[in-house]
Order: sequence, then C-alpha cells, then structure tokens
Amino acid sequence: MMGRDGQERRAEEDPVRGEPGPVLSFENLGFAYGKRKENPVLNGASGAVEPGSWVSLIGPNGCGKSTLIKLLGGLLKPQTGRIWIGGEELTPLSAYRLRRSIGMVFQNPENQFIGATVEEDIAFGLEGQCLPRCEMRSRVKEYAGRLGLTELLHKHPGELSGGQKQRVAIASVLAMQPKVVIFDEASSMLDEKARRELLGLLKEMRTDGNYTLLSITHDAEEVLQSDRVLVLDGGVIREDLRPEELFARPELLTACRLALPFRIQMQQALADYGIRLSGSLKDGSLEEIICPLFSKR
Amino acid sequence: MKNRLLIGRVIDTGSWVHALDPRAKLTAMLVYAAAIILLRSWPALLLAALFSLAVMAATRISYKFYAKAAKPLRLLMLFIFILQCLTVSQGRVLLQAGPLAVSAGGLSAGGLAVVRMALFISFTALLTFTTTPGRLNQGLDGMLKPFARLRLPVHRLTLMAGLALRFIPTILEESQKILKAQAARGADLRELRLRDKGKMLISLLVPVTVGAFRRAEELVTSMEARGFVVDAPRTEYYEPSWGAKETGFVGLHLLLLAAVLWLL
Repeated sequence: MMGRDGQERRAEEDPVRGEPGPVLSFENLGFAYGKRKENPVLNGASGAVEPGSWVSLIGPNGCGKSTLIKLLGGLLKPQTGRIWIGGEELTPLSAYRLRRSIGMVFQNPENQFIGATVEEDIAFGLEGQCLPRCEMRSRVKEYAGRLGLTELLHKHPGELSGGQKQRVAIASVLAMQPKVVIFDEASSMLDEKARRELLGLLKEMRTDGNYTLLSITHDAEEVLQSDRVLVLDGGVIREDLRPEELFARPELLTACRLALPFRIQMQQALADYGIRLSGSLKDGSLEEIICPLFSKR
Repeated sequence: MKNRLLIGRVIDTGSWVHALDPRAKLTAMLVYAAAIILLRSWPALLLAALFSLAVMAATRISYKFYAKAAKPLRLLMLFIFILQCLTVSQGRVLLQAGPLAVSAGGLSAGGLAVVRMALFISFTALLTFTTTPGRLNQGLDGMLKPFARLRLPVHRLTLMAGLALRFIPTILEESQKILKAQAARGADLRELRLRDKGKMLISLLVPVTVGAFRRAEELVTSMEARGFVVDAPRTEYYEPSWGAKETGFVGLHLLLLAAVLWLL
C-alpha cells in the first residue's frame, strides 16, 4: 500500500559503502534541563537504529525518553555527544536540512493540529518545504487517501475524534516523506479502537519498508510487534534487545512498568501445563496458533 | 456541543462566493462597512438590506445561519435601541413618562441603529462562512504585504491571528471542562452569588491560562518538528486568483457605497 521508490531511497542512504548503515545513531548523549547540571536527564546514552526497522523505546516515567527523541529530531541541542542521521552528523548548521528526514508524531493530537482544517494541517509542513502548489495538492490528496481522511479534508479539528486527529498528525508527517518516523507515546491518549488502528498502521508502515520507525510506548502489544527494544534507564540505553528477550526478563518489565502482552501470558500459562507452542506468538491470531494444538490430539 | 462557536466555521455550499479570492472578499467587506457606517436614512438602509440579502442568497447558505451570527449581540442591540429612543428628541413626542420622552425621531434613529448593526454583523459573517481560515489568512497576508516594506512583521502577525482563531474553540472547551470539574466538586457556578461567581472565575482563569501555555509549547514543538522556521521562505498552498469575478464583486460593493452616499 505504501510502496514507492523504496529501493532508490535505500540506495541513496549510504552511497559510499554500498550497504546501508544505521539510519540514525547517537553516541554518549548528555542533556540536563535548566540549571540542574548535577542531575542530568541523559548521561551518556548511545545507540543505533537500522534502516527499515521498527524500534520501541521504553523506560520508566521521567527517564528522558521524550528528551532523547527531541535531541534526535534536532528540536533540542545535546550538551555532550553526537548524533548522525543517514551518515551525516547533526549540527546546528545541518539541523534544518536533516530535520526533513525525521518526522515526529506527539502524544496530544489536539496540540499538534496546526491548520484550521485537515487539508491545511497536512499542507503546513509542505509549505515549509517550499514545494510547488501542484505537488502539495497531489501529496495532500495521496496521503489523505492512504490514511482514510479524504472525506474529512474540510473539517475543523473540533469536529474530529481523537483517533481521527492522530491520523491527521500522521498524514501530515508522512506527506513530508521522512525516512524516520518517531512516535512519542502517540497512542497513549487514544481509546482502544483508535489504538488498534494505530498499531495496524505501524505494521503497514513496517511492511512497506520505506520507513524506519522509532516509537516511545507503554503498550506491551506494540512493543511485542516491533523488531528491537531500547531500554532507557538512568540516562543511558541500558539494553538493546529483541522483544521476546525483553518479555523473558521480569525484572526489566517491572523497572519499565510494562505488563506482559496477553499472548505471552497465554504462552506461559500453557507452558505451566506442559504445553509448548511452536514458533513465535508475534504473528497470526491466537486462534491460528492454538487450533492446531487441538487438531493434533 | 450546543454552543459550538460560529467563529471560523465554514459552511461549504460550493457557491461562486466561496470560490472568490479572499482579498476580494476582504476588500468588499471594508467597502460594505464604510457604506453601513455612512448611511443615515431609511431608503438607503432599505437598499443596503436588499443588497445584503441578495449577496447572502448568492452564497446559498441558509439565512438562519446569518441570523444566528447576530444573535449573541441582541442585548447590546436592545440597549442601543433604548438609548437612541431616549436621547434623540426630534419631531412629535409619542410617549411621555416623567422626564423620559420618546419622540418619532428617536424611534426612527433607534430602529436605524439596530437594523444597521444587525445587517453589519450578519453580513460580515459571510466572510468566515465562505472562507476557510487558512485562505482568509493568506488573503490578509496578501493585503498587508505593502506594510512589510515598513518593516511590519506581516507573516508573523497573520500566523498569530490564524493560530489564535484555531485555538478559540479548543480553549473554550477546556474552560467548560474545568467548570464542570469544579461543579462536580460542589462549586457550581449557577448556584453562587454574584460576588462568589467573580472569585470562581479567577480560579477558572488560572488553570485555563496554564493550559493555554502548555498547549502553545506543544504546538511550537510540533511546528518545529514539521520544519517551521520563523521568517523562512514558504510557498502558499492556496492559489491567489484575482479575475473578473473578483473585480465585479468589489465593484458591486462600491456601487452600493456610491448609492448610499447619494441617498444619504
């Protein structure tokens, strides 16, 4: 659905080495707000995100997740350490240009609605990119179509639901055609239905292969679906592991206030009865995995 | 929501007035305002009223909406009417009660003032009914462009105006939520005496102001994340298009102004 020029874009990410390096990497990042220098939010965080992957960033409240992604998006300037986007270092000089390859979706859908209508909101970022009018029109049409907003283009934000507003925010960001899309707890203010919709959208974007996703989340189901998990704690990236590994470590889960996803709870309950499930629980519905167990007997 | 504001709300009927360049509509409104302010007689008012009704009909928006736009000011209109009736003394005295007298001239002046005001408000609502705030902003930007030479930060001003309009309904909704939360804790505004009501409004003002600042900060973050830099060059999403229709629309309003001046 979201395919298009994926191959070319991958190729141009790292023309020198021929094979894609990390699309986003950071080293030894340090940051403190205001005068609290002795108590920094980030204190030597390092990590990397591979192109086309979906990475969850988790950690306890107030551990600096939002600060980290604001640094990565060039919205804040790190006090120590360096950031590379697509192989190029993020500096005050390059920030304006590099910021274009990073899209950010925030928590509160109301407060990131800039335009007075859906159409104007999607166009806002495009106007800043100085695109010609016909290109803007075609992109507004294209991305509104992809996110099912075509009927709502002339609506005022007051007439939309939270989930619809969040879809507008995503459409606005995707219309700018970023390589990396960062979600800052984008699902936390949504109801269950809108949350599932958002998760479906993330899955679609991963399948599409054109986007690298970095998502701050407290939603265990979302973490389970991602490719890698970065655990931020005490100002550093404490762990970089696969979601299955994370859910096998209860002490990490407690530290990050994360509950086990239902599928894993089910798996463990079955294991207590001596039933081992084959394969990962990540894909397919529960029924698809459990039904064969019955047919075997 | 019952009292969703009409400000900034577009009623899209796809008429030719909707499609006009916003600069033409803004100019026409200024000319119309001049005509309404200058007119002094009933024949001129009748002409202006017929003209307004005709243009309103051209937008294909129901008259109901225009009436609704003027409704919030009905008390002010009543006040102006009474004031005019009592202060203007011309012609035959119709009613005398002690020191107060209502003359034929006063009645006429009061009626004139009220109808003028109602016409003015409902007619200018046409501007926001037929133009999306973004286009309106862009039109304003285009009209103020000459002032940019005088180092007036036109872009910033229109951006500010646009964002302020955008957040009026949001902040109203938030204040209602806070009012309800306070009512739920036993401080219902409706049951209080006037003095306590005043105090209560102050306790409403603080959280709403804090909330507005928080919103503003988040909004700025997301604007920056979408590549917004103050005073950086931008392209315009809506196409400015001044054609024969625009000239005609402004011309019609100029004719009205001329007729009003003649009938004065």
